[in-house]
Amino acid sequence: MLSRKAVITIVALIIISPLFGVILADAVGYHEPLDVAAEKLGLKDITDKLNWTPFLDYSVPGLPATIGYIISGFIGVAAVLGLGYLIKVVLGRKS
Amino acid sequence: MHIPDGFLDLPVIVVTYAVAIVWLAYSFYKVGKGVGKDKLSMVPVLAAGIFVAQMLNWPIPGGTSLHFVGGALAGILLGPYLGSIVIFIVLLVQCLIFHDGGITALGANVLNMGIVDVLVGYTTYVLALKLLGPERRARLIGAFVGGWLGITLAGIVCGFEIGYSSACPFGIAISVPVMGAWHAALGVIEGFITAFVIDYLRVRADIIPQADLLSGVVRNAKP
Repeated sequence: MLSRKAVITIVALIIISPLFGVILADAVGYHEPLDVAAEKLGLKDITDKLNWTPFLDYSVPGLPATIGYIISGFIGVAAVLGLGYLIKVVLGRKS
Repeated sequence: MHIPDGFLDLPVIVVTYAVAIVWLAYSFYKVGKGVGKDKLSMVPVLAAGIFVAQMLNWPIPGGTSLHFVGGALAGILLGPYLGSIVIFIVLLVQCLIFHDGGITALGANVLNMGIVDVLVGYTTYVLALKLLGPERRARLIGAFVGGWLGITLAGIVCGFEIGYSSACPFGIAISVPVMGAWHAALGVIEGFITAFVIDYLRVRADIIPQADLLSGVVRNAKP
């Protein structure tokens, strides 16, 4: 099980995450090295054409970007924890 | 560092998926046989922590930006097999639920962040402990260099993948220097964070998995 300290840390990081992932990113223009290289090579991102999820780029339809980012954080952590515990149980039973 | 759909061509997609599947299958097999099993309980919480840490983008005005990746950290804390599995969990959730990283690029993203970054970080840390001893100084140096080198080499491998996929005949000559140089510069932050977390967790040398680098067998330094 998660310790109380781990839960508090993860929840706190999710709550402040829009400051980094949305507000500051929009303010200065988030631009990774991969984007720089892709531009020089003329590679085209086709994520929008292939998209299957309503939570594209950590957003939630109908909600402001900051709130959607926080909710996406909780959804993602729940999915990661679920998958992590599943793998832990399966591998723990082996051998 | 998450390659989206559209950047890779079919041969690169096939090769990177094959490498990722083989390594992950081997990792599951090794953990199933008991390697690193004592650290299984850390898998969910470390995966959740790395997932959240990757949401904290660091926009750098006038330059290029980045986020913490955590592959080296996972490798140092859990060893190469469980470390790769932790990063795979994070990348799978990011890809399937948020389309952060393309489904066609999942193999490449696992190769870069879940294999290269994990193995380089882990190997560097173990080498530092072997060369410098188990003191705090060695742990800090090993974690910092492991975090920095892991992300730098992962960036270079990523540069090869997109360079080979490019229609540009000189793709690699452009992509590898760009990816390598930027990640070598920005990877210093990854190194600092990796060292800070390792130091914060006070991971002692006797509970860090030691490696036989030739066989890849992980065992505790002390029985």
